[in-house]
Amino acid sequence: MVSQSELVKEARENGMDLLPLDKDTYELFFGPQHMATENFSIILKMDGHRVVKAIANPGFLHRGFEKLAELRPWHTNIALLLRICVPEPDVPEAIYSMAVDEIIGWELPERAQWIRTTVLEMARVSAYLFWIMGLSFKLGVYTAGQWAAAYRERLMALFEQLTGARVYHIYTIPGGVRRDIPNDAWLRRLRDTVEYIKGKLPDFDHLVFENYITFRRMEGIGVMDKKFALAEGVTGPNIRATGVPYDVRRADPYLLYPELDFEIPVLEDGDALARALVRRYELEQDLYILEQLLEMGPPDGPYKVQDPKLKNLPRFKVPAGDAFAHVESTKGDFGAYVVSDGRNKPYRVQIRGPSIAHGIRVLEQLLVGARIADVPVILMSLDNCPPDIDR
Amino acid sequence: MADEQEKGGVSMREQAIIDGILTEAPYAEGKVRRERRVEFKVPADRIRDFLKLLREKGFELMLQITVVDWPKDGEYELVYQMWSIEHRTHAMVRTRIPRELDKARMPTVRDIYPVAETYERDAHDFFGVYFEGNEKMEMPWILDDTEQGLFPYRKDFDMLAYVKKKYMILDRFDENKDNYVI
Repeated sequence: MVSQSELVKEARENGMDLLPLDKDTYELFFGPQHMATENFSIILKMDGHRVVKAIANPGFLHRGFEKLAELRPWHTNIALLLRICVPEPDVPEAIYSMAVDEIIGWELPERAQWIRTTVLEMARVSAYLFWIMGLSFKLGVYTAGQWAAAYRERLMALFEQLTGARVYHIYTIPGGVRRDIPNDAWLRRLRDTVEYIKGKLPDFDHLVFENYITFRRMEGIGVMDKKFALAEGVTGPNIRATGVPYDVRRADPYLLYPELDFEIPVLEDGDALARALVRRYELEQDLYILEQLLEMGPPDGPYKVQDPKLKNLPRFKVPAGDAFAHVESTKGDFGAYVVSDGRNKPYRVQIRGPSIAHGIRVLEQLLVGARIADVPVILMSLDNCPPDIDR
Repeated sequence: MADEQEKGGVSMREQAIIDGILTEAPYAEGKVRRERRVEFKVPADRIRDFLKLLREKGFELMLQITVVDWPKDGEYELVYQMWSIEHRTHAMVRTRIPRELDKARMPTVRDIYPVAETYERDAHDFFGVYFEGNEKMEMPWILDDTEQGLFPYRKDFDMLAYVKKKYMILDRFDENKDNYVI
């Protein structure tokens, strides 16, 4: 990351063809202090209100988590790495813990698996509601956005009862979860919340997803095809909107997902509208998964591995080895590669955020030819999450 | 999966994928890690040939390029994380290059997997691996302009000393202000 003018100057000095200006075009610095980009900056070359060229400029959220993780004991890294994904912090917790579990060779107790799956699905629902809020604000449908934020608040309250924290839960640890489900009343409240949000979905449909304005604003912009999406490493709802049925929960099953029944919504169009609709269908599927989990009920047994290693966490050591674990987040394939050299700290942790694929090169190419008013909509339809690019 | 492990064998499906690839790439080594996880070791100068072959064999997605610094061996380990939607298998392609900054050079694979351009910029910014043929190598990525050339994720980078120097945190009993004590 550099200051914008420095970036332009330096690129020009290196002889790079960075936004050559002629008299009909101008440069527009979009972000980082812009609500649509969320601490992410795009340098646009504009001709009137059309984008001629776009250059993504990340780095405003860089905190060096991967380096910091090498200096801290295994368990304390949970409190660090979950900040890589702000809307659904349970995903980095889960992938890091899954990778550590794999290196040690732990088989999780069933109750721990159930709790982890439920937490991940709650995180997905909460992240999709958060995304609906963002999309509605960018489309100018403020009412639906405020509804979504209010419904998400119910899940936040449930998270608080379960983990003690609203946003950053620090809940999933290697070997299971940090504490047990508080009581049966919590399960009842979760069931009520799922029912409640499910009952509110038609309202969102009327106001956002079946809205004439949404169709006019999103149809046919930011189009990508299957071949392009695969070559650019796009994952998650963005690739499913181009017709590729790739979902980590089915392709590389983890936790309880093999036992659950759900569909993978796939659309063919590959434009901003298709991406938005895939997310809308997935929200419904996630609520359905939560219903199944609640019907199944948490199995009896311990909520973490019964291992003397977990008694003394500062001296917790992981045998030498490495592992790659990934889960399906609302943004796509979220992966962690963890290397251990046998000490009480990781040797290397690399987090693969899905936005690094669809937030840089794909975004730069999709923005070309778009109108300036469509830039926030394309950004939102890709669900770009800058913290997982910057880490 | 548990049964296969008890037999001491490996999953047949993964072994078939490896065999299919290694017949065309005798320079590489492959092994099955577990169900849906395979691993290859490739010499650094054959990486382009190997990734081209992987792409033909159905590994469509490149998920990440991870650099691991091993100062004891004097080497960087580059791990190309690949995913195949067709085979539902994750493949790690490992290769080793020297870690001296003037020798840490790799050929780019951005013409095979276009997304690799971004990952290569990332590896260059934090580790100083230079990918020959990537036009955006010199372009600023995440780090600040004052942090260029530091390569902070290398193991020998003294992060605490750098932070103290940058943010002027002096130790209370340090008389010589030029000498930053951790």
